[in-house]
Amino acid sequence: MSGANNSRLVLTRAVLWLVVGIAAVVAVNRFARGLGATTALTDATPWGLWIGFDVLAGVALAAGGFVIAATVYIFHLDRYHAIVRPAVLTAFLGYVAVVLGLLMDLGRPWNIWRPMLFWQPHSPLFEVAWCVMLYLTVLALEFAPVVFEGLRLERPLRIMRRLTLLLVIAGIGLSTLHQSSLGTLFLLARDRLHPLWYSPILPLLFLVSAVALGLMMVTCESLASSWLFRHRPEWPLLGGLTRAAAVVSLLYLALRLGDLAWRHQLVYLLEGSWASVLFVFEIGISAVVPALLFLLPSTRTSHAGVATGAVLGVGGFVLYRADVGGIAHLAVGGHHYVPALTEIVVSAGVVSAMALVFLFLVERFPVWEERPQVPGHFTAPMRDRVTGTFFGGPWFSRAHLGAAGLALGMVLGVALVEADAPTSAAARLRPVPAARTALIREVKRNPSPGHRLEVLSPEQVTQDPDGIEAALLVGGGRNGRVVLFPHQAHQQRLGGPASCGKCHHRNLRHDRGTPCTACHRDMYAATDTFAHQPHVEGLGGNASCTKCHQAGTAPARASARACDAPACHGGDVSTAAVAINRSKLPAGYAPGYRRAMHTLCIGCHTRHEQKTKVTTPYLSRCTTCHRDRAVEPEPATVVVARLEAP
Amino acid sequence: MKHFAILTDVTRCIGCEACVEACQKTNGTGDDAPHRWQPDPNALSSSRWTTLAHTREGRFVRVHCRHCLDPSCVAACPVGAMRRTPQGAVVYDPEICMGCRYCMIACPFRMTRYEWSSAVPKVRKCILCYQKVMSGELEQPACTAACPTKATVFGEREALLAEARRRLAAEPERYIQHIWGEHEVGGTSVLYLSDVPLDEAGWPRTLGDHPRPKLAREVLGTVPWTFAGVAVACYGVHWTLDRRRKVAAAEHSHEDEDGGEQ
Repeated sequence: MSGANNSRLVLTRAVLWLVVGIAAVVAVNRFARGLGATTALTDATPWGLWIGFDVLAGVALAAGGFVIAATVYIFHLDRYHAIVRPAVLTAFLGYVAVVLGLLMDLGRPWNIWRPMLFWQPHSPLFEVAWCVMLYLTVLALEFAPVVFEGLRLERPLRIMRRLTLLLVIAGIGLSTLHQSSLGTLFLLARDRLHPLWYSPILPLLFLVSAVALGLMMVTCESLASSWLFRHRPEWPLLGGLTRAAAVVSLLYLALRLGDLAWRHQLVYLLEGSWASVLFVFEIGISAVVPALLFLLPSTRTSHAGVATGAVLGVGGFVLYRADVGGIAHLAVGGHHYVPALTEIVVSAGVVSAMALVFLFLVERFPVWEERPQVPGHFTAPMRDRVTGTFFGGPWFSRAHLGAAGLALGMVLGVALVEADAPTSAAARLRPVPAARTALIREVKRNPSPGHRLEVLSPEQVTQDPDGIEAALLVGGGRNGRVVLFPHQAHQQRLGGPASCGKCHHRNLRHDRGTPCTACHRDMYAATDTFAHQPHVEGLGGNASCTKCHQAGTAPARASARACDAPACHGGDVSTAAVAINRSKLPAGYAPGYRRAMHTLCIGCHTRHEQKTKVTTPYLSRCTTCHRDRAVEPEPATVVVARLEAP
Repeated sequence: MKHFAILTDVTRCIGCEACVEACQKTNGTGDDAPHRWQPDPNALSSSRWTTLAHTREGRFVRVHCRHCLDPSCVAACPVGAMRRTPQGAVVYDPEICMGCRYCMIACPFRMTRYEWSSAVPKVRKCILCYQKVMSGELEQPACTAACPTKATVFGEREALLAEARRRLAAEPERYIQHIWGEHEVGGTSVLYLSDVPLDEAGWPRTLGDHPRPKLAREVLGTVPWTFAGVAVACYGVHWTLDRRRKVAAAEHSHEDEDGGEQ
């Protein structure tokens, strides 16, 4: 082979290295800063791409291994012998990819060994863990003869050959178990899965889809390698594979639809939601279209037809797994999971790394041992024993390109992680500046919507008294602007005059005259309005308690002097807390926290609540606020606590 | 064996959040901080193991782990980090946990939360203050101890069920005649009485009464038989076909007796 002939391979390899480079940097970031900084996962959607694609689809992609092994060693269809080794290698690498993906996704991957020692046979995931581990071992042993052959180790080779049948049978048994167990996994997720995907026969559906997917994957792989290594596709083999794939796909289709019909769930197809569209799309590309392409006389022998069918089918069954794994989980609280770019990159990186290992192995070891010698065929990529080079092309240039790809990838990875940081990490927060009152005038700005406020100085007020209003201003948080606090609008939205208590004195921890930030947490740094510790320090440490908490009254917390005590912030509070309504309601003048509550709010509430029997928010009851003095309520009180619907 | 349970009477709750505060203080969860995965700081989170849902009718409904009698999270956990204690509390051991978050997928109530911002994350949920109650440090969970109106009380499950039935009978017009948690998903240790439906406050109508792990357990019970069956079937097919081929080969010639192997 000449160097020019390998341009596809060299470029493919460089691109793979590039992706691996990006993924490596993101992976480091994930372990340093946790899943929250690297993924789009939330409590509502705890599993994402790494489980849905890397693990579920990875296992399915590897199904080709056991399907082909069964075909050759159990059913003795020897003409498929040529693809046993590539299929086993793909399966092995698929499983390594699964483990890598899992290591990325596990929050505490250092405990991954625990299922081996501490058995939990009631857990489907425990069974999956064991099967994956055992099957990975089996696959490694199944592939070992290839390595021994390449290294010319005759004795181990003979031993391994004798074990072949045992390994194949163990592999088939283990695959059957855990392909189906991946479905069993979601039997427990009945309350999350959309009814079109949840089914009591999920284990069976996963097994059948794995067989179909395995056949299609081997087809894909065969076509890809014939493209990459420039040899003709093996039509007799492909014909048999695709026919089998079509039959299994149709069986899957019948099971899937039959089950839904049997349990009267097909009605969800008609709801016209995104889920029903997804279902039709998934079923279409996974089973219907490939089966048609594989069976129709016009397409079943055409390169494009088979390739399209196989790629669609693989994509469709991978989508099926991903749907069950996360996409078709019912959204709760408006959480919709869309994978973060960093997640996609890591998944791609794992696949790329496996592809690189695959290329490495097929070049160095006799993976394609018995390629039929058809004239014009490229014979298996073999080691050039004279020069030690593989596949033509001088080794150094390929290495250079690969290294360049890796380096570029890592630079891109750093850029990606950096760019991602502000959005995915906990938002950096600024405290909201204290509210203040000011005289403002609205500045009309046409045609832009909204309004802009002009904060007026005393001179401006005397010069032009038109349209001046007193207003409550609060800091806008992140952008440093000051915004008008629409008190009246808030009051209306929160439930009218009875709602003061929802903001003023929600009675959260410590003192909290409940700042905006108790609701609008987005802008907060610390939610306490009353910072106790700085006060203690400022007033002289431990000896200063009595400066606020007057001795002799208990409990001390309730008898703390209000902020507006003349010696403290008497002056500040009375001006800072002037809250002037923009409405026609009398301006509420709150000369301090304690007086605001006890005089302005509670006085009215007590009268009002007695008159109307409206008891929200119980401001007339002392224990609503002074919880540390709460007593067992009288039964009568409890009855009062029954609310009338607003 | 004394079986822990909590009875929450929605009609008595005044929404003061004393339970939330007590829980956070007792379990040292730290303050709530807003995060990408936590758009609503008042919702359940890794730093808020119990919270209040606000219903349309203006009621406050406690939200926290239900401590199911047959918990899905325990059935799901592949390492035994989630454990149902003999007293009924479902507790969690972070040292064993491998962070697969299958418990979060499995929970029919979606009560488990994760420490997404940590590089050494834990699953977080109400544990009924199990260790503290068992060691005698607390007489009862912090939340029930803190409730000023006794809207949420701690006790033995049977006793609380009896009390719930007593209340339903004593004031039938006050309540919907249903004890949430008595039968849902096979029964839970957290019971609710209410005068408004709780469909949208943690008890979806789709729950049903059957315990979730049952079906998975049945399927997993077949695992050894499936494996043995598949292995025997495979060998059987292999042997039969191989034999047939050998016989055919013997009839035609005298070579190649190692069929089936490489």
